[in-house]
Amino acid sequence: MRRHEQLLPRPLRIVTIAILLAVVLLPLSYILFASANSDLAVAEGAYLPVTVDFTAYRKIWSTVELGTSLVNSIVVAGIVAVASCLVAIGSAYVLVRHTFRGRLTVLRGLLALQSIPGTLLLLPVFVIFASTASALGVQVIGTRWSLVITYLTFTLPFSTWVLVTYLRGLPRELDEAARIEGAGPLQVLLRVYVPLAKPVYIAYGLVSVSYHWNNFLWPLIVTNSVEARPLTVGLQVFSSTDQGIDWSVICAATLMTSAPLLAAFLLFQRQFVQSFVRAGIR
Amino acid sequence: MPGAFLTFAVIVFPLAVALYVSLLDLDQYTFRQWVRAPFIGLGNYISAVRESNLLHAVWVSVSNGVIVTLLTLPIGVAAALATQDSFRGRGLLRSVFLVPYVLPAFVVGTVWRVILQPDGVAVDVLGSLGIHTSLWLNGPLSFWALAVVQLWASWPLVYLMTLSGLQSIEPAIQEAAAIDGAGWWVRLRYVVFPHLKGAVSLGLLIGFLHSVNSFTLPFVLFGVPSPRDVEVLPVLTYVESFQNFRFGISAAMAVFSVVLIAIPLAFYLRAIRLDVGEKG
Repeated sequence: MRRHEQLLPRPLRIVTIAILLAVVLLPLSYILFASANSDLAVAEGAYLPVTVDFTAYRKIWSTVELGTSLVNSIVVAGIVAVASCLVAIGSAYVLVRHTFRGRLTVLRGLLALQSIPGTLLLLPVFVIFASTASALGVQVIGTRWSLVITYLTFTLPFSTWVLVTYLRGLPRELDEAARIEGAGPLQVLLRVYVPLAKPVYIAYGLVSVSYHWNNFLWPLIVTNSVEARPLTVGLQVFSSTDQGIDWSVICAATLMTSAPLLAAFLLFQRQFVQSFVRAGIR
Repeated sequence: MPGAFLTFAVIVFPLAVALYVSLLDLDQYTFRQWVRAPFIGLGNYISAVRESNLLHAVWVSVSNGVIVTLLTLPIGVAAALATQDSFRGRGLLRSVFLVPYVLPAFVVGTVWRVILQPDGVAVDVLGSLGIHTSLWLNGPLSFWALAVVQLWASWPLVYLMTLSGLQSIEPAIQEAAAIDGAGWWVRLRYVVFPHLKGAVSLGLLIGFLHSVNSFTLPFVLFGVPSPRDVEVLPVLTYVESFQNFRFGISAAMAVFSVVLIAIPLAFYLRAIRLDVGEKG
């Protein structure tokens, strides 16, 4: 771009960027410093550490059981990502390529379901799970499966919508060409669309993992043991213990739990942003 | 297709259960046999309005959501405009700006809980600037603490939507305006802003829905039961169910929260193009 076409005059641009950088980075840098600081200094409000000490990073694995929660989070997020992707691509294909009555309603429903307050579904799902325990003798509450099942249902509308927005951008001729070659609808789906949607899978996996990392309310209610607890709840339970608050360990654990997500985001930033913008939602 | 039906069955069914439970007198004593709990019609709704903090919580949620949404607008747009022109390090800067958005809500909550603790770093820094505060996580200031943290976490969404809006402006229009000798403000005001309207208002709408529905942030920041000044609707609903065990009233509150978001949600559904052949 030539100089006179710039949107903001240079000084204004620099000031804006500087302020925003400070707003974003100061709180985060503080947590980094606090994780190496002594608990007393943190409680007194010191910004820079008095003595630098990284023992907090060792302690998080022993006192917080961060390892168990991390494994739980990864297992649950992984299963959910793969399973919902499989189901979603089928429904997305049908919604994009076939016209039938009520199709628009379904699309609208997909969107609306994302904004349903989590608190609305919380209680009924809890009631249903509790009933399966008494009626069928299957104890779902308290296990990792309770998380897998519910996340699957809660993320399906979103994953379907993401794939709908992607598939509709592919040319329709692909379908017809495959049909002429004698492929049935299922084959078209498996041979044409499943491979073509590859770019979405990465983005989608990220979105799904970040959904899991974000979800807090539900695991808080249905997991009550260290064995089943995901990261989110594990950290919270730790930071509300009564035995005097260990600020440096909280800060270290917070940083460690967000690190995988941030790393993934920085690696795949483009796919991440594109899928958010294309779907117009989070 | 079975997928879509499955989704609907699995979500519509709980919705129906939610509606039904909101008509029952369900508490920890009747919970085991919840189907047989006494049917009390709209009783829960009436007691939710009369006896609980429901209306107060609605007010806190909505006023906080509106304040946060209005403040994200100038910040998000300014950030997008500042990073639109190309310069060295722009890619990195864009990633940094999105970090608050990518961080999970419980991380954001924990970070700010450490910062805003009594005698913590926020109180210290503000004190050295001559602004003397003590309690951020309790009392009247907690409302603003919630707004500040929500704002910190949600402006990148408006930023992102503005960026995507900026991509759709053709450089030719910009050039024409520049050749006509229009200054930067005039160009922004009359050439750029009109093009951004759609994307930005969509961003604001999503942001508002997000902050009204937000549970994790206030929960992690303030704990439960929350201080009265930040008793937002999702937290109140949770406390009513899983701390007071008044399930029926809690379900009624959840239904209220749906009514609350129905209006912005309707606008949102109209704003997103549903059909094939257009960019969504």
